[in-house]
Amino acid sequence: MTSIAKPFARPHAEEHEDPREHLMHDPLPRGQMNEMVMEAMHATSWKFWAVTTFLTLLVIYCVGYEWYVLIMQGQGVAGVTRPDYWGVFLVNTVFWIGISHAGTFISAILRVLKVESRRPFTRAAELMTTFGLIQAGFSIFMHMGRVWLSYWMLPIPNERRLWPDFHSPLMWDLLAITTYVLCSTMYLFLPLIPDLAMARDRSTGWRKIFYRALALGFRGTEGEWKNLTTAMNIFAFAIIPVMFSVHTIVSWDFAMATRPGWSSTVFGPYFVVGALHSGMAAVAIVLFILRSTMKHYKYFIRPEHFNTIGMLMLMVSMAWAYFYFNDYLVPWYGGDKWDKLVQEYTEKGPLAYLWFTMLICNIAVPWLLLWNKKWRQTPWLLAIAGLLINVGMWLERYLIIPVGVTITRNPFTWRQYYPRIEIPMTVGVFAFFLLLYMLASRLIPLIPVWEVQEGQESHTLRKIGKASVPAISELE
Amino acid sequence: MTQSTLLLAVFKDIEPAAHGIEKLHELGVQESDINVISGIPVPGRFLGRPRALTNVSRIAMSGAILGMLFGIFLIYGTPYLYPLHVGGQPVFPIPMGWIVTFEMTMLGLMGFAFIAMFVDSGFPSYTPMEYVPEISDGKIGVLFDCPGVDQKKFVDELIKLGAESVAPAEARHL
Repeated sequence: MTSIAKPFARPHAEEHEDPREHLMHDPLPRGQMNEMVMEAMHATSWKFWAVTTFLTLLVIYCVGYEWYVLIMQGQGVAGVTRPDYWGVFLVNTVFWIGISHAGTFISAILRVLKVESRRPFTRAAELMTTFGLIQAGFSIFMHMGRVWLSYWMLPIPNERRLWPDFHSPLMWDLLAITTYVLCSTMYLFLPLIPDLAMARDRSTGWRKIFYRALALGFRGTEGEWKNLTTAMNIFAFAIIPVMFSVHTIVSWDFAMATRPGWSSTVFGPYFVVGALHSGMAAVAIVLFILRSTMKHYKYFIRPEHFNTIGMLMLMVSMAWAYFYFNDYLVPWYGGDKWDKLVQEYTEKGPLAYLWFTMLICNIAVPWLLLWNKKWRQTPWLLAIAGLLINVGMWLERYLIIPVGVTITRNPFTWRQYYPRIEIPMTVGVFAFFLLLYMLASRLIPLIPVWEVQEGQESHTLRKIGKASVPAISELE
Repeated sequence: MTQSTLLLAVFKDIEPAAHGIEKLHELGVQESDINVISGIPVPGRFLGRPRALTNVSRIAMSGAILGMLFGIFLIYGTPYLYPLHVGGQPVFPIPMGWIVTFEMTMLGLMGFAFIAMFVDSGFPSYTPMEYVPEISDGKIGVLFDCPGVDQKKFVDELIKLGAESVAPAEARHL
């Protein structure tokens, strides 16, 4: 008996995507892409200015005025007191440092791995790193109280013979975050130079002066490109371990203490994965907003990019769940009285709803939404998933910091934390991030046009049998 | 003595530019008298050009070593200025020394890579330079020195090979 293969239910043609759905296989002349990016920067509506004005007022009130009140009246106007000395200020610090990991992850790791779909949104992610770190810095300074004495952290010889204590994780934090801020800002600037030169060539008036100053005289000679790409490669490789070190050290701010719930050896990788979780989710939100609001960005940011981000979000969510389970199981199994009390307070105490919300947002939402390619390629759905993940990740930090320290080994200090002035200040730093991003969108080409063109030059369609298959040549 | 002229040939794409450069070689233009300007990094091998040299890696490595030494100085050199005894740890503990040394090493590496990019490229430079804005629109510019008397011959040959324009390069404010 001979077996005959059954005919396929659908012809192959229906299964195949049009290669032109992919940005790399749908090239436009460079001049036209430059035009599109420049036009997107220049085109502003009254809505843009209305939102900018609103955010500016919010920042002036919530960051400027409220911080003034905090400085003049002291930390008493905040909810922080024994045993919760850090409160929402540190929740925000850790959250924003986490957000900042997205830029490095997308720009550096995906560049090193040569993930081609990264090309149009590396800058959008790198900007998140710089602006996120600015908000993290603000949150730390807000918490300092006497912020004008912050220079005492610096190792400067002085007549009081004060010297920073390098035994302290907070000093490691200072060094790691400073290194990260400086390096990620340089890393943002390097690939921006050719696009600033492009903007210089197409601008007049004050913009011409602005871009001319920032483009530094870049023309694109062989030597300039060689220097630039070599420096970018060094940064791409070197900033990855720095990124890992930053959030690991942030986790050590907690893990080095002997507090119940904090003293955990898994905190380093758990925090790093958590940072990537919130960072990737934030990239999805930013890409959705850029695609919806910026002219011509639908050409550059396509469903394929949301698909890439969605897959990364799902993967990171699984990794986060794995580390969370590790961090949860060992104290639960170990049976230490104080660890148990912290866990019980978190799960069954008055704030248990936060714990359940966190688990739903960080695990259930991505696992239920992101397994489906069609859903991953739906920008608004991915943005909603991103928003919920960020709510979950903010809550996770809230549960670790103010909620976690409510239970100490001295029961007479137990006290539930209620944020006060921290609430408007938190609104302020979020508004400040959005404001910076909105202003940057009018000043900086958010699409790295030269990187997109470079990618398009290296992609071709190769005919194999009856199908056209994407092929890529090594251009970098 | 023959006076040379600096010409700028603008090509639409990499391929005609590569042919143009080949022709320049045939006409006796030295490698060192040619420079390519482009809107994307074009590897030298695509254009039949030698690999461009850079000092960025060397300077960056020096920065890493300096950063490491600074980190070691911070963690092991300075604590005796104001000795602090914490939790039975030595004044300069080795494990946490790694953290400070690592951060300073990476800062040195990347900081110097950044500076090296500036130094090696001669940035910032706001003096007039030979350039045409079409290059940032994806065109390839080939700058070369040719003997003044042969200028017409060079222009004709390159136009024949697909150059959109070949003209004496004008230094202009960017």
